[in-house]
Amino acid sequence: MLLQQQKETRGRERTMEAKPEEKAEFEEAEIEYVSYGGEHHLPLIMNLVDQELSEPYSIFTYRYFVYLWPQLSFLQAFHKGKCVGTVVCKMGEHRNTFRGYIAMLVVIKPYRGRGIATELVTRSIRMMMESGCEEVTLEAEVTNKGALALYGRLGFIRAKRLFHYYLNGVDAFRLKLLFPPPRQVL
Amino acid sequence: MADKPVYEEASIDGQPPKLASIPASDTTVWADASPLLQAACAGLRDGELIHGDNFNLFAAMSALEIMDPKMDSGIVCTYYSIDEAIENGAAPIPISLDSTIDVRCTIDIMDHLLACEAAWHKGHSLAQTVFSCIYLLRLDRTAPHALLHSYCRIIRATCKAVVSVVSDARTHEEEDLFTMTYGLPLNGDGDDKCLSILNAVEETISRQLRACKATSSKRRLPEDLEPLQSNPNLEEGFCKALLCRLRFRKHFFHVLSCMKRPQGRGLESARKHIASCLTELESILKSADFLRSCFDESCEGDIDDKTTASGFEPIGFDAMLNSRLSAPTPPRAIKILSWKKAVEYFVKLLHDLDVICSYSLDPRLESLLRFVVQFQKSQPDLVARSHLQLLLVQDGKLYGRDPFFAVINKAAALPEATKNHDIQKNESFLQLGMLVMNLLKILCTNAAWQRRKLGKFLQDWRVIYVQLELAFRNEYGEVSSSSNDENTCMKIFQHILLWVEEQTYWIAFRFLILGFELELYSTGEYCMVYWYLYAVLIKLTEKTHLMMAVSHDTAKRKGKKKKDSPKDLARESRIPPAVLFLQCYICLAEGLTMYLSRCLLL
Repeated sequence: MLLQQQKETRGRERTMEAKPEEKAEFEEAEIEYVSYGGEHHLPLIMNLVDQELSEPYSIFTYRYFVYLWPQLSFLQAFHKGKCVGTVVCKMGEHRNTFRGYIAMLVVIKPYRGRGIATELVTRSIRMMMESGCEEVTLEAEVTNKGALALYGRLGFIRAKRLFHYYLNGVDAFRLKLLFPPPRQVL
Repeated sequence: MADKPVYEEASIDGQPPKLASIPASDTTVWADASPLLQAACAGLRDGELIHGDNFNLFAAMSALEIMDPKMDSGIVCTYYSIDEAIENGAAPIPISLDSTIDVRCTIDIMDHLLACEAAWHKGHSLAQTVFSCIYLLRLDRTAPHALLHSYCRIIRATCKAVVSVVSDARTHEEEDLFTMTYGLPLNGDGDDKCLSILNAVEETISRQLRACKATSSKRRLPEDLEPLQSNPNLEEGFCKALLCRLRFRKHFFHVLSCMKRPQGRGLESARKHIASCLTELESILKSADFLRSCFDESCEGDIDDKTTASGFEPIGFDAMLNSRLSAPTPPRAIKILSWKKAVEYFVKLLHDLDVICSYSLDPRLESLLRFVVQFQKSQPDLVARSHLQLLLVQDGKLYGRDPFFAVINKAAALPEATKNHDIQKNESFLQLGMLVMNLLKILCTNAAWQRRKLGKFLQDWRVIYVQLELAFRNEYGEVSSSSNDENTCMKIFQHILLWVEEQTYWIAFRFLILGFELELYSTGEYCMVYWYLYAVLIKLTEKTHLMMAVSHDTAKRKGKKKKDSPKDLARESRIPPAVLFLQCYICLAEGLTMYLSRCLLL
């Protein structure tokens, strides 16, 4: 079901692209998705996030994720040896539900609009589902149409609106994906 | 005795001299930690981490990397302290020796402060906005400059009054930033006299205005009065520009004082001051043309982005001086609203406050709820909403006047006589009173928070219904109408139970409707939402209709002596308009559900 959605939406993503100002040329098959392999990956991830996201994170934030969830926390997309995207996640008990949380998602500008972000998120969600999560949540700015569209296509609903969540005064949506309950073993 | 700071040579471009070292004081001494850090670095291998048991996400995200400008508040600053800034001429008194420039600069400061105030109201910290003004941080210094001094005093008193209102309303979550004032000099001796100080200055400028008008019409000067500034051609313009700004502040302060008076006693006076404020704001806007044209030098950049009417950068502000005081978040350069947008903000705020002041303090709950819902449609900001909340709930009573049991009594269509009945001391009825009070408070919060609270609140209303029903059955399990009082108690229970149900469905309806406003529903979910609305509306209409029938009964019993005229009988069989209206909603919801479900099938 997820794969089918991706095929349909890739076409849409291309038409939604703005005038390409230095878009990278590549085939989807050239993108390699890699789990966290060790300390050497950490500076790549930190640089990417530092470059693209406005919130500053200390090294401790990254250490928190990698220390507690090494397999899950960092997934990266490489093109010809260069890290072009990453997703940072975690899982845990929250008020009697075991839930996954997507903390950061970054794809560098020249590689956007080609389904890399969707692939990163999809793989993370699959891992969370396999690990026994009941749901996945994240926050996104109400103005971030790209992110809202991406997660909307994957079946996330807007559970809540958070007033002035970001320090620049922008509201956020808490997005939530509920997994269907596991099949009963007869 | 503190060491004198060691300065490098002052640079030619006039930048403040950089400190070569931060001076030690009586209680601090500097020690070099480099060798210790070096040893620590060598002690850990790649990927190793030492952490405490409380190493959670919050702790990790609150950690700072020292000297990283994105996280370390102290690293980015022009001055180490307020005193250093003042010593280096960042906030001169007088601002300029040229009285014309001094006046223009004073107006720039006033305008920028207005922009800062609007930015604060909109959600930024007080420390980085209004209190980025060095003059305000050391208010006593401004004493020789009557104009600046009086303006700073009234700003300080105004901010304090606004913080007090918002604190009393007890705001939540993201809005908590508003009331953070630690470390800021908000309390000033003699601020209660700020109005008289302002009036004195206003009086002087009014006389100066009259004097310059007299000179221009070649009439004899009535008094030997010193002009405001040295350029006679600009005197009238400057006087007018100053007067409207001073008067705006005076009237705004009065609005806040009047609205604070208990039981809405000051609302009518507040309206008059609001009208004056709006007039003065118009004059302030008009003064921009004069202020921009009175100097030959034009200012760079887009005039619409500027925080002053004249377009010049204001003197005496440094947002980084207080960066250590602004919240436990990384330092962030915030964008102060443009002057134009600030004026627009205050115009809207005043209109919202005017709506509140025009409210008739209707003792009927259903009218009040309609009023609050309508008021929220204009998306009022925090300050306006806090004022509304404080008007509605004071001293545990509605408008500080009506006890909540009496309000419920009326809403449940019970006769006036029962509003003082002892049954209100019953635990369940006390809790019900609290629920109504909390409902009003919730309805005054921002829409996002409101919807979440209403969702959780539904549970409380269901629980109270069950409790009341249980209490009712325990007392009057069998239908036995012996004493009069027992009859009355039964009646109270019955009416109130019905009313609680009606209120519960009303809350559910609000919860669903707010989702549209907050853009929570995707188009694919509309069908489901309208279906839920349809179900809730049917129940709401049923309860409302029952309530009206019951209230008609009560009214009938009052006027028992009159005979039933044919008119009365006809009126009874007609469906009340309120119910008809709800039935329209039901039809709409049903229709939309059907329509959208067909769209989904296609």
